[in-house]
Amino acid sequence: MTDLAVELRGVSKKYRYFTLDNMHLELPRGQIMGLIGANGAGKSTTIRILMGLVHQDSGVARVLGRNMPSEQVAAKWDIGFASEDMRLYESMTLGWHMDFIRSIYPTWDGAYAQLLLKRFGLRAEQKIKGLSHGQRVKSALLLVLARKPKLLVLDEPTTGLDPVARHEILRELTNVMADEERSVLFSSHNTQDVEQISDQITFIDRGRIIDSMDKETYLDRWRRLRLEVPRGVELPALPGIIGVQREGRLAVATSNAFAPDLASAYESSGARVQRIENMTLEEIFVANVEHSREEVEA
Amino acid sequence: MNGAVIGHLILKDWRINRLLISLTLGAGIVALAIALYGRGTARLVGSVWFFVALCILGSMLPVSAIINERKKQTLAFIMSLPVSSVQYSIAKIVSIWAMFLVPWLTLLISALILVETGHIAPRGVIPTLVIVAVLPLIGFCLISSAALAGESEGWLIAASVACNSSYWLAWYLLASLPSLTENWTAPAAVWNPAAVTILLGEFGSIALILALTLFIQSRKRDFI
Repeated sequence: MTDLAVELRGVSKKYRYFTLDNMHLELPRGQIMGLIGANGAGKSTTIRILMGLVHQDSGVARVLGRNMPSEQVAAKWDIGFASEDMRLYESMTLGWHMDFIRSIYPTWDGAYAQLLLKRFGLRAEQKIKGLSHGQRVKSALLLVLARKPKLLVLDEPTTGLDPVARHEILRELTNVMADEERSVLFSSHNTQDVEQISDQITFIDRGRIIDSMDKETYLDRWRRLRLEVPRGVELPALPGIIGVQREGRLAVATSNAFAPDLASAYESSGARVQRIENMTLEEIFVANVEHSREEVEA
Repeated sequence: MNGAVIGHLILKDWRINRLLISLTLGAGIVALAIALYGRGTARLVGSVWFFVALCILGSMLPVSAIINERKKQTLAFIMSLPVSSVQYSIAKIVSIWAMFLVPWLTLLISALILVETGHIAPRGVIPTLVIVAVLPLIGFCLISSAALAGESEGWLIAASVACNSSYWLAWYLLASLPSLTENWTAPAAVWNPAAVTILLGEFGSIALILALTLFIQSRKRDFI
């Protein structure tokens, strides 16, 4: 049995106006990976390739050790998939959906489903058309979670939800991970959600993975250095500095491989380091995307 | 083959479309009763009504069971289940064909009983009757396949218009075939080579359309 829940090797997919380019991605079993990207970055296409719904033009996509799309039927027994644009049958009740899923999956856990109904404040006898957006998302998640999949693949699960509903869903995802064998891949453009629950974070932009590592490493390595640069002093180009914004005597240098000697190097050049700041995941994401785009355009 | 999951998908379609099936069956039964027990014009009205009900069901079923699944974004929910695109297509074909065959067979059997009991026409019309009855079946096959393979309302509407406006032409062509019409007054059904060839051609077209649909579905690289 492979130790990877998700594996992409050189996966490409070309559309008329968009290309997913040479994707490499690994998610070890038992971990949560957040896939962060702007709208149209390629998150949904990546996820659809992983679900076998879109066939890659080249490269290898493996999920739970099975090749996609050729082994999608076998793989999907162990994958729970929900996406922001997925809808349930409006004319049917949530209870009908639960019976439908239970009839397919022998792993369906009725007691857990009842527990989730309570936790999410849902009623089985209610028709889907009478539910709010948040309740529909929770319903879809209930149907996915109660079948106890080994891998959860969630495409923008928290988009459009109010803070309370988002919190409930993220808390449930965290609970799911009590089982160390279970893995979660979820995409979002909301960095707060990803930061809250992910172990691994992958940034994707314009069809390319621009960075992928564990959350702590991101937060450790990225720093913003606020500098005062006296007239006549030129800031040196230092390794690990991906961008410098200068305005008069003040400058802000962004580092993606911070080490204390970066500050010393600036001090030696004649600049004064006013402050070294930690960056939020959102700031890291934006800086990463901008840097990546500059590199591509250069 | 993933038989159990396909079975659940078929049952699911029947449950979701039960209102449409019930309404059409209700309308069809009323129309059939008028055709069976009415006299003169009423019998003609009943027959046409039943045929129209059949054509409406033939167009509505693919909309309800196939197109709406895409439009209302429930397809992603179904495709998240352990099923491939070809297996999904097989489930769709079986479920909507079964839904359509119930009223279609009712029509055909009722009409055959009427003829056999000598109520409306000599038994010699039976081959032509069967050939004509298979026409809406071909139409339904084409419309549902266009919906499934074309994935859009546009393809479905084009197929519906093409089929529903072609029935009269097919009737006209069949009625001008001497090899069919010469036996209409015969006291028994005459299955001459022309009648058998046309019927085989009809079922051959259905088989071809279905095979082509499954082939197209199996070649699709982007299903959603």
